[in-house]
Amino acid sequence: MSKQKITLSENELILALREKNKLGAEALYDMYSSSLYGIIYRIVQHEEMAEDLLQDTFVKIWNSFSSYDSTKGRLFTWMVNVARNLSIDKIRSKDFRNNIKNQDIENTVNIIDEQRSTAINPDIVGVKELVQHLKPEQKSILDLVYFRGYTHVEAAEELGIPLGTVKTRMRMAITTLRKFFN
Amino acid sequence: MEEIRLYIESGTLELYATGGLNAEEREEAEAMLAKHPSLHAELVEIEKSLEKYAQSYAIEPSDKLRDRIIGNILTSAVHHTNSDVPTEPKVRKIASNQNTFYKYAFAASVALLFLSLAALVVMNSRLRETNQQLALIQNTNQQYSSRVNYLNNQLNTKETVLSVLRNPEFKMVKLAGTKQAPSASMTVAFNSAKKEVMIDMASLEMPAHDQEHQYQLWALVDGKPVDLGVFSVNSEDNGMIKMKDIAAAQAFAVTLELRGGSINPTMEQMMVMGAI
Repeated sequence: MSKQKITLSENELILALREKNKLGAEALYDMYSSSLYGIIYRIVQHEEMAEDLLQDTFVKIWNSFSSYDSTKGRLFTWMVNVARNLSIDKIRSKDFRNNIKNQDIENTVNIIDEQRSTAINPDIVGVKELVQHLKPEQKSILDLVYFRGYTHVEAAEELGIPLGTVKTRMRMAITTLRKFFN
Repeated sequence: MEEIRLYIESGTLELYATGGLNAEEREEAEAMLAKHPSLHAELVEIEKSLEKYAQSYAIEPSDKLRDRIIGNILTSAVHHTNSDVPTEPKVRKIASNQNTFYKYAFAASVALLFLSLAALVVMNSRLRETNQQLALIQNTNQQYSSRVNYLNNQLNTKETVLSVLRNPEFKMVKLAGTKQAPSASMTVAFNSAKKEVMIDMASLEMPAHDQEHQYQLWALVDGKPVDLGVFSVNSEDNGMIKMKDIAAAQAFAVTLELRGGSINPTMEQMMVMGAI
């Protein structure tokens, strides 16, 4: 039922985005929509809003592509920033604040995992194993900073730990990820 | 190099990749990255693992979004491409005799000027004409509005009169002329249940009076006159005027008084009277 998804290498994609051709748009969507949607949904937790934000994210990526600088990092990192910033702006906006759900960090992470465990990308082998490898405090740090856009200062405040600890935990978290995925 | 090793172990790059640095810290990190290419390789590895991590939390959006979003992406594309890529200006050969060019340019400008002036004159006269038409239409509109207002008022008045006349609670009391004004007459509508007293102005046959005088309506209660208010004779008025309330009386009478009325009726100036 699903159409053949288009995949390009990072360089091919960058070229296509620069030329703004249809193939580029399709590849962009096929390759990254579910990752970006996952991040967006994690922040706003509202399907319709997340869908609109996904569209806004792609449109913004497409139209501000000239500001992407590959010397500063990979394409996906830049795209995650766009998605994250749009989502955070949305939840800080007036109309969202009326519906904001207050859940503490641990809860959010656990609830989403339970709700979405069936939707986790089956192409990634042993995701449940990953979850076991990653210590809870490493998971929290990743959640706060990477997904929810906290700075390390804000994360330290939120968790009640020193700045240095935030840094080391983040390094350990990513080192764990690197070991796991390689 | 020691500095690089320490930098890598500090975890700054991890924070950079996850977006956890503030603007200033980001700039410092970018400066380091620009300076030391080996840091770039480390960053790429960090980013790749984060991408896989993000993918593990991927949620497939609903199928219907694909076409809609791709369509919106493509139609949103700004048609002006990067402003920092300047387009090559077309180079034209200027006429070798520069004077000829300027002469032609001048002539063209003058011609354009005349054309513009002509257009301006035409536009102006059209505008004036349009304004005149507009004024005319507005005037007509005004007249229609006034007429509608007038008719509405007339309608309201007649409806009020009709409701009083039809109301069985109202008794119509005819006041007949006295010696002072034998041919005078008028009708007073009296609703004793609601204590309402109305004068039917359309039925008024009263002699005219000047600005310094007014008519005053009285109710005769147990032989004593009770003031029910003043009214003027106004030939345009054909509705009902509401006077003061009275619960019961034996008769109504109207006297001519000075403007504003009087505490006691001037009996010599009684114009009409009628028993209830």
